[in-house]
Amino acid sequence: MAINLTRRNFLKTASLAAASVPLSKVVAKAETGVVKTPLIPPGSFKDTKTAVGGICEMCFWRCQLVGKVRDGRLVKLEGNPKSIDNGTAICARGNAGIKLLYDPDRLKYPLKNVGKRGAPKWKRISWEEALNECASKLKGIVDKYGPHGLAMFPHGASAKYPMHFFEKTVGTPNVSEASFFQCRGIRDTAYVATIGTAPGENVDMPNAKVIMLLGGHFGENVHVSHLKRYLKGLENGAKLIVVDPRFSASAGKADIWVKIKPGTDTAFLLAIMNYLIQNDKYDKKFVEEHGEGFETMAEGISEWTLEKAAAICDVPASQIKEVADLLAANAPNVSIHPGRHVSWYGNDFQRERSLACLTGVLGAYGVKGGFVKPKGPKGFGKVSWPHGEHEGENLKEIAGKYPFAPPGTPTELIRDAALSGDPYPIKGCVIWGQNPIQTIPNQQRTIRMLKQMDFVMCVDVMPTDITMFADILLPECSYLERYDYIKKGTQWNFADKHQQYVSARMPLVDPGFERKDGVWITNEIARRMGYGDKIPVQSQEEMVDKILAGAGLSIAKLKAEDGIHIQPGKDPYGISEDFTVNFANEDLEDEGFPAIPTYIPVEEPPAGYMRLLYGRAPVHTFNRTQNNVWLHAAMPENPVWVNDKVAKRLGLRDGDRVSFVNQDGVKSRTTTTVKVTPGIREDAVYMYHGFGSMNPELTVGYNQGVDDQSLITKLAVDPETGCSGMRNNFVRLVKAS
Amino acid sequence: MIPKDSATESTPGSDDANGLAEVYGFLALCMRYPDPAFLDQEFLVTFQDLLHSLDRDSQARELGTWLQQDNNPLETLQIEYTRLFINAIPHVIAPPYGSIYVGGAGSLQGKLTEETRDFYRQCGFDLADETEPADHIMHELEFLAQLAREGRLEKTEEFLRRLFRPWFEQFYQRVHNEAGHPFYKVSVDLIDFFTKEEP
Repeated sequence: MAINLTRRNFLKTASLAAASVPLSKVVAKAETGVVKTPLIPPGSFKDTKTAVGGICEMCFWRCQLVGKVRDGRLVKLEGNPKSIDNGTAICARGNAGIKLLYDPDRLKYPLKNVGKRGAPKWKRISWEEALNECASKLKGIVDKYGPHGLAMFPHGASAKYPMHFFEKTVGTPNVSEASFFQCRGIRDTAYVATIGTAPGENVDMPNAKVIMLLGGHFGENVHVSHLKRYLKGLENGAKLIVVDPRFSASAGKADIWVKIKPGTDTAFLLAIMNYLIQNDKYDKKFVEEHGEGFETMAEGISEWTLEKAAAICDVPASQIKEVADLLAANAPNVSIHPGRHVSWYGNDFQRERSLACLTGVLGAYGVKGGFVKPKGPKGFGKVSWPHGEHEGENLKEIAGKYPFAPPGTPTELIRDAALSGDPYPIKGCVIWGQNPIQTIPNQQRTIRMLKQMDFVMCVDVMPTDITMFADILLPECSYLERYDYIKKGTQWNFADKHQQYVSARMPLVDPGFERKDGVWITNEIARRMGYGDKIPVQSQEEMVDKILAGAGLSIAKLKAEDGIHIQPGKDPYGISEDFTVNFANEDLEDEGFPAIPTYIPVEEPPAGYMRLLYGRAPVHTFNRTQNNVWLHAAMPENPVWVNDKVAKRLGLRDGDRVSFVNQDGVKSRTTTTVKVTPGIREDAVYMYHGFGSMNPELTVGYNQGVDDQSLITKLAVDPETGCSGMRNNFVRLVKAS
Repeated sequence: MIPKDSATESTPGSDDANGLAEVYGFLALCMRYPDPAFLDQEFLVTFQDLLHSLDRDSQARELGTWLQQDNNPLETLQIEYTRLFINAIPHVIAPPYGSIYVGGAGSLQGKLTEETRDFYRQCGFDLADETEPADHIMHELEFLAQLAREGRLEKTEEFLRRLFRPWFEQFYQRVHNEAGHPFYKVSVDLIDFFTKEEP
């Protein structure tokens, strides 16, 4: 027997007998968590079951999943075989969702910060205590300062419901989504100003004769059905034009790689349009039928000769001509991709307008291979919080700025108001699934904004940089443990049979620990703040069922159909008679902006500095995945791409370690390796975004690689939209000893 | 492996098995999040008595000194528990789950978790709820208490050897080295003492 003599003797001694009476008394005060059950034969529970209805959120493309579940544990994720979107394919990140689900660093219980904001000392508290505290603090701020005393930074499908509660019912206008103000908002409003609708990524690449990507680096940016469309197009023989200062994965497949000078893309696009117009290579019929203000634009851009653009863009005039001719020769079956993350230089609205106008010049709307919106399923119900009686005091309206902003308020305006108290104080902050420290330029200002708050509440699945600043930190169910998002659409290739699909996110496993879903958390806070009578749905299931009911579906029905409902679709090609491309837009002019697409030069790097460019990695989703064990193993840090000639001048070799100093003297906290390559311009360096978290709670991701965001201190605000451009910062490299 | 010694076989109700059951039950509570429902003055006094009866007088005194000086010992323990086992800056010291250390590639719900729960079930036990996984140290000690209560000391030995000690030793080192509070340092010392296989 292995119990050693000392212990055995001890157990037999009278001293334990004496001690064991109080021991048993003490032990009896708590129920044991391990209880007697009927004997279960070995091998029971071993059947692996398939759970349907999963929708990925390792990135925001949201592929359809099934989970292989054994005895309550998720053991594998796969694409849903019924999917006509991603199909059975999921990417590396999708596979690694399991490592997020079971990441030991994940938030498990409500936490209260009993230390300092930014240097927290956590104490686990009950949900009751956490909710009471959040509600009383938030209500206190609303009572004292009005609803605009609150700011909210939401992100992701689960943040929509709480966002509407705080925005509509409580009434704060200070809501800022990174997905709009640091990502795609400019694209959406620029296309709305041009063609009346947000573009999505709706170019018919599988059936295109030419695909043009401007900054898009597919293959590094992985969205499964998006990539399928792109690759099918290439497989079908489409020519590929890639405009990028860097030899990206897409540039590697390109027929023409335009190694453009950063920030000058609009000049490039204007020259193409001018060349096409001057040489009668544009779609006259389309322009006549659907163009508005074409003559104004044609005249306004007539100065943009190939040579002028060539000098500005630092590419040969002949190459711009080659691109223009290739597009014209294959028009209208060309995919001018609108991009996705587009807030780059502060002149981005104009670039996006130019892309939309170029599509019009080529007549590439509604045609095979062009810009084509899918005709997806319709009729869904709506769940929303009711509007309160408050008057909006939106900061962008008060400032009289950014009339073409996406929904919400530019993040910078909220931060400025919070820091200055002008036009009103902002003293409470709700952060839901967003990490503004790694999304908004100038981290120190964000931190100061948080420090001046009376109360900060964070809801997330993981600790992040920003959760260090929470007073109360609440653990949310991950996308694998909750109901919410409705994923709907059509088959990815319009050449295939027209079909529509509807699916809703369903949990593949039960949430562990004390994690709760966003509907429950929001409702509990709302009740405690006195809005109990305004609650629109009692549970996440009710929310999803109400939305699905409009389309004659339900959770039960979707489950019975293996998680995805499929129905006949419609031919998406063609455009309505009144479809209009506003080559010149008077509304823009009325607000003091150029009516036609216009090139606005950006600042040049100071001597000795290079422009800091960043982008997506195929196995990471920005900072969200940096702690994922599998993905970290695949890509532990973000090497900096440096031009080979520059490296030689700086005495850097491939594999050397470097730190960074930016134009404002800000130093990187960490170092990374150098990747020496001819595949990048001399005036820029490039790295993947989303590394080097400052939160040591991230056991895997802490200080791994360099946080490019920490070096982005200078704002480049897009004047039409108020979105933050993030590629106008400059760095020099310092070799680490 | 020490040959089985029939002289040490226990039957339900024997003093050593009962005593061990209470000790494991008590240590399980030490590894549970401090809740006033059980973690009260009586609990702390009992803890000191237990230490005295183990000739660990200096550790008992250490606890006593702390109790005299701390106005809110419960909250102190809650903060320390959170830091050691749940979430902390700079990082959690020792997640109390076996699968983090063995057979799970650093994740929760690894192979060890499954094997642990299977072991419970094969012995006629299971988790009362799914809040925490089967390989939380608290559950493992509760399970050992249940086995000991039934006099199944051989099973406790098997469990300790196969599923508990391989990860506990790593866990123990982390807590022992980094616990900022005598309560947890002493708790893992006692768990070590009552689970250790010695030649």
